Amino acid sequence: MKKIIFVLFLAAFTFVVFSGCEDRSDITGVDPILNGKSGSADLTRFVVIGNSLTAGYQSGALYETGQIYSFGSLLANQVNTKFEMPLIGEPGSGGRMEIQGFTSAGSPILINNSASGLPKNLSYPAPYNNLGIPGALTYDVLFATNSNNCASALFANTPNPFFDVVLRNSSLNRGSQLQQALSLQPTFITLWIGNNDVLGYATSGGVSPSAPTDLTSFTQLYGGIGQQLAASGAQVVVANIPAVSSIPFLTTVGPALAGNPLLVWWQISLSQTASGLPATGLIYMSHEGGSNLGILPYKVGFADSASLRNSTTLVTLRGSAYAQLLGQPTGKYYRDFNLTVPLGVDTTQLFGFHPQNPFPDIFVLDPDEINTAQAAVTNYNNAIQSVASTFNFGLVDINTLFTNIRQADFSGGYTVDGLTFSTAYISGGLFSLDGVHPTSRGHAIITNEFIKVINAKYNANIPKVNIATIPPSLKFTGTAGKLAGYPKVSPEAFDRLFF
Amino acid sequence: MKRLLLVFIVVFSVYSINVFAGGFQQNQHGARAKALGGAFTALANDPSAIYWNGAGLTQLSGTKLMLGTHLLFPASSFRGVAPSKQYSFMESQMFTPTHLFASHNFDNGLAIGLGFTQPYGSGTKWSEDWIGRYITTETKLQTFILMPTVAYELFDGFSLSAAFIYSFANVLIERMIPQYPFEGDANISLEGDDSFAYGYNFGLLYKPTEWLSIGGSFRSEVEYGFEGTATTTGAVQLIDRFPKGDISANLTTPMNIVGGLAVNVTDELTLSADYQWVGWSSYDELAVDFADDNYPDASSPRDYQDSYIIRFGAQYDMLDEFSAMAGIYYDNMPVATERLNPSLPDANRLGFSLGFIARLTKNFSVTGAFMYLRGEQTSVTDSKENYYPVTGSFVPFNGTYNSTAKILSMSLQYDF
Repeated sequence: MKKIIFVLFLAAFTFVVFSGCEDRSDITGVDPILNGKSGSADLTRFVVIGNSLTAGYQSGALYETGQIYSFGSLLANQVNTKFEMPLIGEPGSGGRMEIQGFTSAGSPILINNSASGLPKNLSYPAPYNNLGIPGALTYDVLFATNSNNCASALFANTPNPFFDVVLRNSSLNRGSQLQQALSLQPTFITLWIGNNDVLGYATSGGVSPSAPTDLTSFTQLYGGIGQQLAASGAQVVVANIPAVSSIPFLTTVGPALAGNPLLVWWQISLSQTASGLPATGLIYMSHEGGSNLGILPYKVGFADSASLRNSTTLVTLRGSAYAQLLGQPTGKYYRDFNLTVPLGVDTTQLFGFHPQNPFPDIFVLDPDEINTAQAAVTNYNNAIQSVASTFNFGLVDINTLFTNIRQADFSGGYTVDGLTFSTAYISGGLFSLDGVHPTSRGHAIITNEFIKVINAKYNANIPKVNIATIPPSLKFTGTAGKLAGYPKVSPEAFDRLFF
Repeated sequence: MKRLLLVFIVVFSVYSINVFAGGFQQNQHGARAKALGGAFTALANDPSAIYWNGAGLTQLSGTKLMLGTHLLFPASSFRGVAPSKQYSFMESQMFTPTHLFASHNFDNGLAIGLGFTQPYGSGTKWSEDWIGRYITTETKLQTFILMPTVAYELFDGFSLSAAFIYSFANVLIERMIPQYPFEGDANISLEGDDSFAYGYNFGLLYKPTEWLSIGGSFRSEVEYGFEGTATTTGAVQLIDRFPKGDISANLTTPMNIVGGLAVNVTDELTLSADYQWVGWSSYDELAVDFADDNYPDASSPRDYQDSYIIRFGAQYDMLDEFSAMAGIYYDNMPVATERLNPSLPDANRLGFSLGFIARLTKNFSVTGAFMYLRGEQTSVTDSKENYYPVTGSFVPFNGTYNSTAKILSMSLQYDF
């Protein structure tokens, strides 16, 4: 009897030791896997049309690790549908902005990466699902088929090579962005275009082009695109245009100048008043408003420190290098840009503080120009909304999203998924180093706006992107820049100090 | 003049350092106790009594030596972060808490013993790209104790014991730091040790009749003062902003009070039971001080509650040379779910054990045991653990934990 118990015991012991005592999790579900469909939304053949925002352009370049976080790519992931892109290997299309280090005061030192990568998906035999082309205007969606017949080539004599990279018409021969999109016989199309019709004006200080695309042309072009999209029978969602005057490219330098302790604004103001000027502050060349002060062969405008601080006059990030020269007798700007010093300008006068050596027009968006840009955005958005309601398209209100985010800057930041963002340059987390294009997380927030609209309109249940799982995307110079110890920054790095 | 300064300060949030939790307390001090589910306080009849209840030494005759080890295989999974149910698995590791006990009875009521064992000796490791990497990637704590013990039988069947605890310990904590708003992660590693900490221990054993014994044991808190260094690996551009250098941290392991009963039901069958109270509230906060004043000292509330463990064991002497044992064990989770953390995926645990003693010769016996521990599935919906620790952000680490452990034990005993 005892022997039997003994044997049974040994058997039980052996069984317990070797039987799989595995994880007995009782959650049976996994994250839902969609196959391009949810509710009545059908993204099985999904194509996105747009510009740099749709392409996933970040920090002044188009590169793979940015492209995969474009809103189309993130959305395709969420619904598990095919999404081919014109991927460009690291470090991308060239000139990507990267952080080399920080000054002892904590200012970032930015450089442009001089290297570029090669396109990776050139031989894909059909149009890409991501037909976002950096620099595309509304005109281009309908008419541009290569770098030489896009709007910037025709009207500004600047061919845009991204049209060749994305459309590949020399081999594919499938026409414009719109034609290529429709040739995929898509079930679902997004259209986000029009930003560049006003952005080029704003970022060049209202100089080149000297006006946003006129509303009549915009309305006709956008309506024409809408008509063809509607005729395709696909489900269509369009996005409107965010206000341009709240991007860090335009809002960073002015407040920094106003708060710079090295610029003693009241003293500047006193000496300007003493020399008989009608107004004081930063003196900039202005082609739209301004005054010639009765003697100058050009016009100038004035921006006092308050208007710089509260962004009623905007100074662009491109102008930051020259903003550092304020108050010096210098003509560096004209030398750098290879320009003839205009008649009446005297570069021995104090740069930016004397009417005879004004701050360059191309770096300043003054109140008149801000109004022009803002009116264009409002009018375009009305046109977009009207097209959307005519053709029963979904409408993603990116303008309201960014207005809300900008508002939240003044009340502690915009919180989503537990993370806090602001529109502040670099530290805000939303905008990449170029100050115009979103970071990967910014793209994820935009993706969730699209998902919100699709879920509502098509009774779908596409899960939102968890923003915290999207990696930050501001790049450091050098991929293997990992080191224990103290940073080594070469002295010449300071020559290219961005701020 | 006039360099425009856009002063940009990267602020890395302080650490939430979470170690030394309930499950790090190992009750692996001899295969015999393991086989009985740990219900050994009222039995204490082999040299591992030095740990469990020193008063039991008076029951042992002559000189005995016991040496053994445990192979401990913990496993944990995390599903989340909610609402996602994506699986993350802890990397598999093996731990080997080892023990050595020696006892001698002077046959005049006095017995002495010396024990070496590891009351805390475990760790967790997760991959460097898992979702909770900013909370933990690796945590390891080892404490070693040396316990000289004296036991005395005051009158027939009633013994008391006292022991001094000398302890040394080391700790390792690693996690990633987000370089937000920049790409990539940095890694921070904190290592420290303490070569001298002390405590004490009392035991009691009373056998009012032949078939009943009552045991009690008290183990004091042990205060450790760890000294060590923090090292950081990250982007060159940021490296001087990461905390590093000499650190110190204090930790108090909890007081334990145990009461036990053992009953000889028949000549062959013995049943035993233990109730252990663990004063985990000693562990309410873990503070790490950086010697360099440039780095803020960090503390993270742990808010542990006092807790208890219940154990039942049975031993059946089938043959003169062979006994079989079995046990059940329940360990109550000492931490609130809102503070549950993957550096130690704690849970209410239920353990089942089986074991045997084989008396191979008159002087030599082998004891083997296997225990399977199952942590109750624990879902966290109100987490206070932040898995994206950057300024201005709080992202709760909600999700579902599952944990198990397998422990194989073997002790060898030689009677001189």
